[in-house]
Amino acid sequence: MESSNQRPVLEVTDYSLAYDTPDGRRDALKSVSLSIQRGETHALVGESGSGKSTLAWSIMRHLAPNAVELSGAILLSGEDMVGSTTAEIERVRGRRIAMVFQDPSASLNPTMRLGDQLAEVLMRHRGLGRAAALREGEAALARTGIADPAALMRRYPHEASGGEKQRVVIATAFACNPELIIFDEPTTALDILIAKQILELFVKLREETGVAALYISHDLGLVARIADRVSVIHRGSIVESGRAAEVFRTPRHAYTRDLIAAVPRPDARIALPVPTTDAAVFAAEGVGVRYGEPGWLTRLLDRSATARYGAEAVSFTIRPGELLGLVGESGSGKSTIAKAATGLVEFEGRFAFNGRRFDGRHAFGPSYRRHVQIVFQHPDGSLNPRQTIGGILSRPLKLYGIVPRQAVGRRVGELLEMVRLPADYASRYPHQLSGGEKQRVAIARAFAAEPKLVICDEITAALDVSVQATVARLLVDLQRDFGAACLFITHDLNLIRQLAHRIAVMQRGHLVDIFDAAEADAPDRHPYTRALLDAVPTPAEIAKGHSA
Amino acid sequence: MREILRSPTGLAGSLLLALVVVAALFGPWLAPYDPQAFHATARLQGPSWEFLLGTDQYGRDLLSRLLNGAPATVSFGLGATMLGVGVGAIIGVVAGVAGGTADAVIMRILDGVLAMPELLFTLLIVTLFGGGTGQAILAVAITFAPGMARIARSAVLSVRTREYVLAAVARGESRAWIVGREVLPNALGPIIVEATIRVSFAIMIGATLGFLGLGAQPPSTEWGLMVAEARQFMFRNAWTVAVPGVAIAITAMGFNLFGDALRDAFDPRRSR
Repeated sequence: MESSNQRPVLEVTDYSLAYDTPDGRRDALKSVSLSIQRGETHALVGESGSGKSTLAWSIMRHLAPNAVELSGAILLSGEDMVGSTTAEIERVRGRRIAMVFQDPSASLNPTMRLGDQLAEVLMRHRGLGRAAALREGEAALARTGIADPAALMRRYPHEASGGEKQRVVIATAFACNPELIIFDEPTTALDILIAKQILELFVKLREETGVAALYISHDLGLVARIADRVSVIHRGSIVESGRAAEVFRTPRHAYTRDLIAAVPRPDARIALPVPTTDAAVFAAEGVGVRYGEPGWLTRLLDRSATARYGAEAVSFTIRPGELLGLVGESGSGKSTIAKAATGLVEFEGRFAFNGRRFDGRHAFGPSYRRHVQIVFQHPDGSLNPRQTIGGILSRPLKLYGIVPRQAVGRRVGELLEMVRLPADYASRYPHQLSGGEKQRVAIARAFAAEPKLVICDEITAALDVSVQATVARLLVDLQRDFGAACLFITHDLNLIRQLAHRIAVMQRGHLVDIFDAAEADAPDRHPYTRALLDAVPTPAEIAKGHSA
Repeated sequence: MREILRSPTGLAGSLLLALVVVAALFGPWLAPYDPQAFHATARLQGPSWEFLLGTDQYGRDLLSRLLNGAPATVSFGLGATMLGVGVGAIIGVVAGVAGGTADAVIMRILDGVLAMPELLFTLLIVTLFGGGTGQAILAVAITFAPGMARIARSAVLSVRTREYVLAAVARGESRAWIVGREVLPNALGPIIVEATIRVSFAIMIGATLGFLGLGAQPPSTEWGLMVAEARQFMFRNAWTVAVPGVAIAITAMGFNLFGDALRDAFDPRRSR
């Protein structure tokens, strides 16, 4: 696929960029070099803050006002774009370089029909008339595998699903036959199954058009499936670059090795031994949650108004010390179950805990609330920004009277140590901590109550890969020390196969499958479980790399 | 506070505000003349060494009148705002925390009140209660309350669904703790900032009422009244109108800029 006699479509040489901040100049990119040939997919892999999006914006010539370019060149088919005028950039953007963003609902204008948005690009960049543009747009959409493109073009963004919207965005990007397309995490905001389809679409279109692609991602498994070449970026520098298969099979740089090692492998189990008892510590018995219950006035005016089930007739048990994984796509009701179990929403059915039954959120007493703790997804949102870490951690201790008042300070120090944070963090505020550190504080707060069950609602979803692994390990260690059971809600199937004793699968509010982690590959799995498992690349594929 | 002084708007606002506060606290003692003393030989004069800011139609020293009027004017603004913000914030927080039917009923009533233009509503209240400073303060406070309630409610609502509040609910915290320690400290920023900005509105409405003869009564040195009294002599000596007018503008601007800087400083993420 590589042809050395051809000039690369994109060539970035020794490019450095810094941001001017009130605290002085902060380097964002340090002498970055990479080149992409025609028909090649070059993956740029890095964690948040590594500078991968900054590089994408530099190539698009859309820089923040406080950005300073220190050195280097960005060549698009041999033309240097650094220092080009606004008019020159206007001619390049959209026509010669297109971009696909992470969140399709944010990149489409909600007040314009999808067809008009697609046609607008064609009219602007290819000088087509409106009718011709609409016809061309319909053909472009048809190529993305949409069954009825004409109907989709008449719809507004809110009338289309996430996958359909991303198809429109991709069709728009390919429509002007650009030389280069930059994909900035195009599947991260989508559900597993849709993401897989979008990825297949990307591979198909790339092969048809032979466009050069810069694919930005944090997901090594995904990159291994599609990339020809990989560059690993860390703190603004490219630490390793090469053919995908080689980089994944024999990583040279320590950071690349860490990244690859951090990808969860289902076979490398880090779960505790399987609990010996069969008696359940916690059980959900036919739990259902209804949203949008219409009031009497609404019912009077509109007889068709009914509530929507967020979850319906969900039953499962958790044994002491067990980790039950709860997986499903967004909207499947997994977080709804977490909210019901912690009394944040009203529910029908029953929860049983320690031999007592609770048939409504108001039945939960202090003892239940102490022994069933929850950790939320967003580390930024789960800590009160106006309280110190010490204040946050001491609250459950005081509220439940876990330790005598004078011992609270010492216990806070111990808790911080347990989650491997320095004791002097007690006097800090949440915004002074990194995302991973904040999540550890949130975990420490949950375990401060010495609970019997900890509900973890996507606690690793907002974290970088390397941080995810340490947080997961930490959770298992704490579970062992405290003897707590855990309900681990996630959409990361590789991770949950590593962690859980049993896995429950939810689809559209119903629990469709529940099985032992070891039996994930058994032939009698529910078809939906099967589809989910097939959609995620396994680390074995990563080691193999992209074979094409 | 250091954070506020570091930004240009904050510095400007603080300086203007310091000037106003000094005038409000020490004005009557700093005044070179008795504010009511007539100087029959020096009427409607421009600034001179004898009368630094000139004199009005009776030959009264404008600087002395300005300094004497400062406490009344500023305390009017502060008093009316505090009363209005206090009442409004309580209503808003109650509505935001209670939610449901109580929230809907409170907000629809406030919407009705808000539909009336602010000044017109103030005039209505003053007409009901009669003129005078106390009544004017009350009137301004009542007109401020609905707007403040809306801001307080939206601040509370945006905080109420944050995960740390949910965590507190899941922990089984009492309602008072959740409102007092988790919600309010994080909702207070916008309320305080809005309050400082509203002080300038209050001063201006107060001045307007004074100008219309419905607030402070002659021979008070309230600034709005000074503008009103000087109006007919505007073309003989513009200073009579300009001096109290500029003083009102400086006060309003001081509070406004200070409020803006306060909003920035209140963001915990920006403090180092």
